[in-house]
Amino acid sequence: MNNELLTIALAEPSVIIRSGMAVALKRIPGFRIQTVEMSTLDTLHNYLRLHKPDILLINPVFWGYVDIIALKEDTSNQHLKSMALLYASVDASLLRNFDDTISIYDSLEQIKEKLDRLIESPAPDSSDESNTLSLREKEIIVCVVKGQTNKEIAQELFLSTHTVISHRRNIARKLEIHSTAGLTIYAIVNKLVELEEIKKNMLI
Amino acid sequence: MQKQQKFSENDKMSDLINEDHSLLLVIGRFGLSFGFGDKTVKEVCQLNDIDCPTFLAIVNFLSKGNIEMDTVYDNISIPSLIDYLRNSHAYFLEFKLPAIRNKLLEAVNAPDQNLPYGVIFTKFFDEYVSEVYKHMNYEDKVVFPYVLALLEGKKDPAFSISDFEEHHNEIESKLIELKNILIKYYPAKGNNYLLTEVLFDILSCEIDLASHSHVEDYLFVPAIEAIEHEKSTEK
Repeated sequence: MNNELLTIALAEPSVIIRSGMAVALKRIPGFRIQTVEMSTLDTLHNYLRLHKPDILLINPVFWGYVDIIALKEDTSNQHLKSMALLYASVDASLLRNFDDTISIYDSLEQIKEKLDRLIESPAPDSSDESNTLSLREKEIIVCVVKGQTNKEIAQELFLSTHTVISHRRNIARKLEIHSTAGLTIYAIVNKLVELEEIKKNMLI
Repeated sequence: MQKQQKFSENDKMSDLINEDHSLLLVIGRFGLSFGFGDKTVKEVCQLNDIDCPTFLAIVNFLSKGNIEMDTVYDNISIPSLIDYLRNSHAYFLEFKLPAIRNKLLEAVNAPDQNLPYGVIFTKFFDEYVSEVYKHMNYEDKVVFPYVLALLEGKKDPAFSISDFEEHHNEIESKLIELKNILIKYYPAKGNNYLLTEVLFDILSCEIDLASHSHVEDYLFVPAIEAIEHEKSTEK
């Protein structure tokens, strides 16, 4: 499960298509999606001035030609991806500047594939191995909750600071815990450390 | 153009709650108390000196369940909206989060646990609350006064409402972390009802905080942006 919230701006004049699309997007497994809906280009411009969605899904023909490049330049959001929402086949030249298209006849699987490709989410790796901590990672957790800096950990375990940082990133990903306070709870609950060892850091 | 909205001023207040119980929270934050009888939304608002269009805007925004940007909020009272947001902050900080803290302590301090989990969890929870506090306090002390001054035509040139965008994610991620620790890593034994109860509270608080952020990001901020825009073109 990708825990990052994905914001999708949905610019489509038909309330039926728009609502249907929003519901379909919510059903796609593996994503946390927040859709923001709008039915006019004016609203879209106002919205893009204030917000930075990840993806813009837009009807490419209803308002005439939508200049997606100008739209992107107008907002200060370089990472904005664009997708065209199609009812029927459309002249390819109109779609040239879009990153991808979604047809209203796409299946959820097809939409998911397109989203995966578009945001390059890491392949879901739910095998046991990828989510279990290695011995080394456990050692590092112990050091972290004792209050050691990355540099001190590197010295104690004979690693480079860079390696320590990459281990810490993997730990955060595997456990979905990012804060030291959270790791402390994890370490105590799983008996990686004794409470006595870390008391002075916790200021108990 | 006024769009079709789910609730209107002539609906009965009691119907509104029956239709969507999450609106209970809104009613409390406007300082309304129950015993509405058959009064309509408009009547209840008048009796309690509440701006009816603002009340309806929030109720309709929240009950839709989706976010759409087409509605123009030019008939709402910004001071009323700010009162509502301030009351929501007070609700979280002074009522909801302390209540969760108490339940959490009770759940993790079961007598058969030989470790003082209470201390560890409270520390984590208190860090979380202090972040929520920092964020909400910034809105109460900086953002709202800026907006109220703007309404009086005294705009602070150093600040604009778009500066106050997208601060909400950090708060949510910390609550998700607490939830993960309890669901995935806490070696529960003994009284599981207490733990279930506190998890349930955390989850509903998470949803409630998210709706609160949505009101700020998609109703409050665009409304203020429109005023900033209007004032800057007046000159």
